[in-house]
Amino acid sequence: MDVSAMIPELLSALPLTLAITFTALIAGFCLALIATTLRVRRVPVISHLVDLYVSYARSVPVVLQLFVAFYGLPLLVALFGSEDFFSPTIAAMVGLSFYHGGYLSEVMRPAYLAVDRGQHDAADSLGYTFRQKITRVVGPQAVHFALPGYGNSIIYLIHNVALVMYIGAADVMATAHLIMERDYNQYQFETYLVLAVIYSLMCLVAWLIVRFFELRSPMQAPEATTTTPIKNELIASV
Amino acid sequence: MLELKDIKLSYGSTQVLNGVNLSVKRGDVVSIIGPSGTGKTTLLKCINYLAKPSSGTIAFDNVRMDYQRADKAAVQAIRLRTAMVFQQFNVFKNMTVLQNVMDPLVVVQRKSTDEAREIALRELERVGLSSKRDSYPSQLSGGQLQRTGIARALAVRPDVILFDEPTSSLDPELVGEVLKVIKDVTSSGITSLLVTHEMQFAKNISNRIVFMDRGVVAADGSPAEVFDAPSSPRLAQFLQSELSFQ
Repeated sequence: MDVSAMIPELLSALPLTLAITFTALIAGFCLALIATTLRVRRVPVISHLVDLYVSYARSVPVVLQLFVAFYGLPLLVALFGSEDFFSPTIAAMVGLSFYHGGYLSEVMRPAYLAVDRGQHDAADSLGYTFRQKITRVVGPQAVHFALPGYGNSIIYLIHNVALVMYIGAADVMATAHLIMERDYNQYQFETYLVLAVIYSLMCLVAWLIVRFFELRSPMQAPEATTTTPIKNELIASV
Repeated sequence: MLELKDIKLSYGSTQVLNGVNLSVKRGDVVSIIGPSGTGKTTLLKCINYLAKPSSGTIAFDNVRMDYQRADKAAVQAIRLRTAMVFQQFNVFKNMTVLQNVMDPLVVVQRKSTDEAREIALRELERVGLSSKRDSYPSQLSGGQLQRTGIARALAVRPDVILFDEPTSSLDPELVGEVLKVIKDVTSSGITSLLVTHEMQFAKNISNRIVFMDRGVVAADGSPAEVFDAPSSPRLAQFLQSELSFQ
């Protein structure tokens, strides 16, 4: 088997890899949003439980989190009487969503806290409700602070998707290993090189999208370079 | 129209307001002066509940609230009738100058975009910022930022406007443009409370001066009474040090 025949076979596993990535991206984002809201509003008891979840997501190796999802969640679901529900792909999606959500919460929370207290005061004094304040004033500014960290977390997620092969999900990494084993490990370097290009391109696209939004941020407007003339004579006139 | 009674507030073990009483009539321009750390800004923030007193009452026309039992509806009613101009400007950094002035009108007051735009453009014209309406805060000088803050406060048509040391964060050369706008606002008849260290300015634009010291109102009178015949040695000493500095 030559390299040109191996590439389409590797790419055939790309849709599943992307499906796992996008599911974890979206579900993780929602989890992070909920976790961040509960943490910054210091909801009694619940915010401590959320702290525990974030700590778990950040401190336990991702591959271990995937094993916990793969072996633990079927037991949990079995309690409700629906066995054989979990496939490796679903376990990968769930495990990575929880990992990404916890990690992203630690990007969102500092971004929220980085918004100047005065911005809250100004919105409150004008009669904005909490929801209006978050959607109109604080949220957009927090997004600006969060974007670089968010870009990094997406890249880490793409890297960590490669670990789902350990629980049997057939992503591009798992497919690459199947191809190599089938060909008696003749083309290991070439296969890993193609794999590296695929992951690099995925990360590049993610980085370009995040960078696009970073540059479009209204807070990215270039600062004024003109000086204001001295107006001391006005002081005398008032 | 506005009456504060026995306002007390502490930050930890530090008692900042120690039973402040203050009443303001419609059309009054009241300047609050006093040494730093005597609770002037905190008192202003108590009016719109940005600072939360431990006790005391506020009456704003027909809205009455006991701070020990503050309720959302009363707080919102007061906030909708006041507007604050901040020492640090606090202009929304994610919006242009025009959006800053329009947004509260559209979001809070539910005005149409066209009406809000019309009001905003009028207020920006008033403060001399029409040419900067599409600029972002990062592109403005301190004086322009503060004038944006004033335009935003005026646009919501408040019954009372609260100025919290509006020139303290400005370079000396930018103070004049802001004082000029404030003078224009206060002379238009709008009820104003102004916390300031600009003694001469306070004397010129106010019809009442309130001197705060150690968390209480230590003197209250017309500019002539307070500046020309200080009622206490403490006030005389404060005025002497402020006026000699300026």
